Amino acid sequence: MKLHSSFRDPSGFMFHQEGVLYRQVNLSYQEHYDQLMESGLYRQLSSARALIPHEECQVNIAPIPGKVYKIIKPEPIAFVSYPYEWCFDQLKDAAVLTLSIARRALQYDMILKDASAFNVQFQNGRPIFIDTLSFERYQPGTPWIAYKQFCQHFLAPLSLMAKADFRLNQLLRVYIDGIPLDLTSALLPKASFLNPGLLSHIHLHAKTQKKYADAEFPQEQISGKMTKTALVGLLDSLLSAIRSLKLKSQKTEWGNYYEQTNYAQAAFEAKREKVNAFILRVRPRSVWDLGANTGEFSRVASNLGIPTIAFDIDHGAVQRNYAMVKQDKETDLLPLCLDLTNPSPALGWNCQERLSLPERAPVDMVMALALVHHLAISNNIPLENLASFFAGLGRWLIVEFIPKSDSQVKRLLSSRQDIFPDYTKAGFESAFGMHFEILEESPIAGSERILYLMERKQKLD
Amino acid sequence: MNIFAPIGKLTHYLDPGTGSMVLQVVLAALLSVGVLLKVFWRKIRGWFNPNKTSVSDEIDPTEIAEAESAQLSPEDDLK
Repeated sequence: MKLHSSFRDPSGFMFHQEGVLYRQVNLSYQEHYDQLMESGLYRQLSSARALIPHEECQVNIAPIPGKVYKIIKPEPIAFVSYPYEWCFDQLKDAAVLTLSIARRALQYDMILKDASAFNVQFQNGRPIFIDTLSFERYQPGTPWIAYKQFCQHFLAPLSLMAKADFRLNQLLRVYIDGIPLDLTSALLPKASFLNPGLLSHIHLHAKTQKKYADAEFPQEQISGKMTKTALVGLLDSLLSAIRSLKLKSQKTEWGNYYEQTNYAQAAFEAKREKVNAFILRVRPRSVWDLGANTGEFSRVASNLGIPTIAFDIDHGAVQRNYAMVKQDKETDLLPLCLDLTNPSPALGWNCQERLSLPERAPVDMVMALALVHHLAISNNIPLENLASFFAGLGRWLIVEFIPKSDSQVKRLLSSRQDIFPDYTKAGFESAFGMHFEILEESPIAGSERILYLMERKQKLD
Repeated sequence: MNIFAPIGKLTHYLDPGTGSMVLQVVLAALLSVGVLLKVFWRKIRGWFNPNKTSVSDEIDPTEIAEAESAQLSPEDDLK
C-alpha cells in the first residue's frame, strides 16, 4: 500500500508490503539515482549516518511496474516524529544536517532538490536524512531550487524561536510547508534587520517574493547567473545564519522540576527502583514516557536498551533532555515536545500526510508518572477518559497516583474549587479498572504516592 | 537556457518561487566574494600556522574529503 504522505515528488514513492517499508524509484529518476549511487556520495553520506542506508530489492514487488527503475528498502525508522514536536536544538541540528548534505552533494555535482524538515528523522539519538530521492544532478548556473523551502522550514521557525518567542515553532503545525517568510518578517523584532543572515534570507527574501509575486519569470535575469561558488556561498551563509541562532535562556515550568519536587531523594530512588522492577517484570519492546520532564525515569527504560520516547509539554525540559542525549551519545532515547491535552493531530492533504500521535501507536508500554493529577485536576479530564486514552496507546501501563493530601496536588487545588469528588485512590482504581487489570501496586516509600503496573484488558485490533 | 527545463528526464516538482530565485542571483556576487575571502583567509593563515587546523573551519568547497568515521556527528563528518 502506498504511503499517504508520499505523493508530491514524481521521482518515486514509499509503500508498505507485508509490514516492510519500501521505496519505488521511478524511471524518471534513473540518472539521478545512478549518480547518487555511483559517484560515492551515497556511500559517504550513509557511512557517516547522515543519509539513511538502503538495500536494493527485486523490482517485481513494484506497485507501479510501468514506472519502476529500482525498489529499495531503507533502514526502518522506529518512530516518525515531526518538526513541530522537536525542540529548538533538534530543529537546528536537522537544519545543519540538511545544509551539510547539500554542500557535500555539490562536491559530487549533485544538489538537494528539496529541503523539507520532514526529510529529517531522529534515529539512535541523531538526526538522519531519510529522503534518498532528494538528490539531483547539479545544473551549472542554476540557483538553489529548495532555497525558499529551506528558509520556510528551518530558518523561519528557528529565527522566530530565538528572536521572538520559542512557542512560535507551533506555527509549523499550521503551515505544513514551512512558515511564510512575510509572516516571519513581520513577527521578528526590528533588531533582526541588523543580523545579515536574517536581513537577506528572511526580510529581503520576503520583500523580493512580494515584488515578484505576480511578475513574469525573468528568465534572462536568472539563467546561468548563479555560479557554483555563489551557490556554496549561499549554503555557507545559511549555515552561519542558522549557527548564530541561540535560544534565550528560558525560565521554564519544568526545566528544574527535580530540584523543586516535594519528595526526598530516598523516595525518588525508591520510585526509580520500582519503575525498574515493573519494566523488568514485563520487558516491553518500546516505551512512551508521557510527561517525562528531562527523562529521569525514561532512562530507566532506555538504559536497558529499550527504545524510549520521552514526551513533555515543556520546551525547556525537552531541550535539556536532548542536550543530555547528545552529550552522552544515548541511542535509545528520543525527547519530544507534546501537549497531551492537545496532542499532534493528523495534518496535511486529506488529513493523511502527517499522522496524529495515536495513529503512531501502539507502543508496548506507556509510563505516566506524576502526570495524572495534572491532567485530571488542572485540565478537568475525567479519570476514565485518561484510562481509555492510555489503553488506546499501549498494552502495559506504569501509572502513579498522587492523592489530594500530597502537597503538589494541594497546590493545584489551592487556586480553584475542588470539583473532583472521585479523585481518590478508590475512584482512580475503579476508573482505570474499566480498561486495565491492575497487576501490582506499590506505595512509594517516603511519600504518599502509589505506583501501579497495569495491563490492558482488551487487545487492540 | 531555461532553468525550468527538465534536467535529464526529471522536472522540478517544487515551485522555487520567482522572488526566491531572483534574490539568489542578486546576492550571488556578494556570496561569491564571501567564499573567496574565506578561502583566501584560510590560505594566509595556513602560511603562518601550517600545522593548525580549526574544527570550525569550512573546507574549500571544491575539495572532496572522505568521511573518516561513522562515529562523528553528521555536522562534523560533512564539513
